[in-house]
Amino acid sequence: MVDVDDMFGDLFDDVAAVVLFSPSGSLFERLSRLEDLELIVAGTQNSVGADTFIELPIEFQDVSERVRFGLEGGLEKGILEDGDTLACATSVFGDGIDTISRVRVDGSGELGLYNLFAKSRADPDVIKSVLELAIELGKKGQKGKPVGALFVVGDAGKVMNKSRPLSYNPFEKSHVHVGDPIVNVMLKEFSRLDGAFIISDSGKLVSAYRYLEPSAEGVDIPKGLGARHMAGGAITRDTNAIAIALSESDGMVRAFKAGEIILEVDPEAY
Amino acid sequence: MVLESFLDQPIVVALAVLALGLIVGFIVGRINEELLQAAGVSEAVEGTPFERSAQSLGTSTVKIVARLSSWFIYGIALLTAIHIAELFPAEAYWQTIVTFVPQLFVAVLVVLIGFVAADKAELATSEYLRGVKLPEVSILPRIVKYSVLYVAFLIALAQVGVYVMPLLILLTVYTLGLVIVGAFAFKDFLISSAVGIYLLLNQPYSIGDEVEIGDRAGIVQEVDLFVTKIESESEEHVIPNRVVFEDGFARVRR
Repeated sequence: MVDVDDMFGDLFDDVAAVVLFSPSGSLFERLSRLEDLELIVAGTQNSVGADTFIELPIEFQDVSERVRFGLEGGLEKGILEDGDTLACATSVFGDGIDTISRVRVDGSGELGLYNLFAKSRADPDVIKSVLELAIELGKKGQKGKPVGALFVVGDAGKVMNKSRPLSYNPFEKSHVHVGDPIVNVMLKEFSRLDGAFIISDSGKLVSAYRYLEPSAEGVDIPKGLGARHMAGGAITRDTNAIAIALSESDGMVRAFKAGEIILEVDPEAY
Repeated sequence: MVLESFLDQPIVVALAVLALGLIVGFIVGRINEELLQAAGVSEAVEGTPFERSAQSLGTSTVKIVARLSSWFIYGIALLTAIHIAELFPAEAYWQTIVTFVPQLFVAVLVVLIGFVAADKAELATSEYLRGVKLPEVSILPRIVKYSVLYVAFLIALAQVGVYVMPLLILLTVYTLGLVIVGAFAFKDFLISSAVGIYLLLNQPYSIGDEVEIGDRAGIVQEVDLFVTKIESESEEHVIPNRVVFEDGFARVRR
C-alpha cells in the first residue's frame, strides 16, 4: 500500500485546509486532534460543533455542486481565499465520507447561489423551506400529474404593488407561515391555481392567485422558458424579492434573483 | 367467665383494635385507589416527571396516594391500640401525637399534590411556549414549577407547625417582584401585543398597503404581534404596534 500512498500522497501536498462535508462525530473528533491541520466543516447543520462551519442550504446530491457551493460559501464568509488549495472530503456512494478531491478555490466563476440564501431580504430558513417545497412538489406533482408553480419570496409589500389579484385571495386574513406543518399540503393544493404565491420576508403567505406585472425590460433568462419564468425573473429585477419557479413542462426548479437564474436543480435528483 | 375476663384484658382489646384498623385501612386504600382511578387522576398526571419516577419504582401516583390513606389509618389504629394497652402513661405526650399525626398526613398529601401540580404546570407552560423559539424562554416553565413547589412546601410546613413567617415574607416579596418586573419591563410589549392581536385579526391594513403612521409613511412589509414594518424609498421603519394606536394611521389611496 506504500506505493498507493506514494501515488496519491501528493493530493495533500500543501493544502491550506481540509473541508469535511457532513462528517460523522467520531471522524471529526479524530481529525481535530491532529495538529497543523486546518479543518472546515460544511453541511446542512453543524452537528459536530466545529469552529469553522459553512452552512449548505440543501443536501446537494451532485458532488461537484456540493463542493462548489461549500467553497463559495467559504469565500463569502472570508474563511477561504481566492487561490487556496483545499482537500475536500465528501461522500459519493455511501453515507460516510469516501472521496477526497483536491480543489483550487476560484473566486471568478461565481454561482451566486450562496448569494441567494445568505444575502437575500427574506429569511434564509424561509427560502430554504420554499425551495424544499418546490423540489418536493416537482418530485411528486399534484396527484401524480406534473404541476408548475411560482413562489415570490421577500419584499412582499413591493411585490404586492407590482401585481394584481386574479381572483379572491385564499390566504386573506389567514396567518399561515411557510414551514408550518399543514402548509405544505395547502400549498400543494393551491398550486393548481393560476398565478404566483407571494411570501413575506418572515415567511407569511401573503397571497396566492397573483398576476405579476413587472416591467420585463433587461431580463436575461434563456429562451424557451415560459411566461411563468419570465414573470418570476422580471419581478426579481424590479424588487428585492427572489423567485422560485417550478416548471410544468420540464419539471426543473429554478431560482431567480435580480433578474437572473442563479440556481437550477432537477427535483428527480434529490 | 374466663372468656369474659380475658376479653376485659386491655391488651386483647388493643390487638382487636389493631386488627380492625389494618382491615379498614386496607379496604379504604383499595376504595381510594378505585375512586382516584374513576376520577381520572391517573390520566391527569400522565406524563409528569413525578408519575414517571413513580412508574420507574414500580408504582404510580394513584397507588402512592391510596397507600398513604391506608398508612394513615394503620397509624391511627396502632396509636389507639397503644393507648388502650396503656403502654404510654404520659397523657400530655399522647395529646401531641394525636394532633400531630393528621397534620403530618395532610402535609405529606400536600407535598405529593404539589409535586404533581408543579410538573403539570411546567408541562403546560412549556407546551404553551413551544411556538416561541428562544432559548431564554425555556427558563419560564422551570420558574413556574419551582414556584408551585415552593407554595406546596410552605403549606406542608405550616401544617406540621413549622414557623413559616420568614418564608411567607420571601414568597410575598418574590411574587411582588415578579408582578412589578412584569408590569414595568413588559408594559410596552403587552400593549403592543394587544394592539397586534387586533391588527392581525381585523387587518385594517395588510402587506402591500401604503400607510402613514405618525410622520412615517411607506409600504407595509410585515405585520406581526409586536411591530409593523413599513418601508419607504430609502428607509425601513420598524414601528411598535403600540404607536400605531397612539398616533393612529392613515391609508394612502392611489
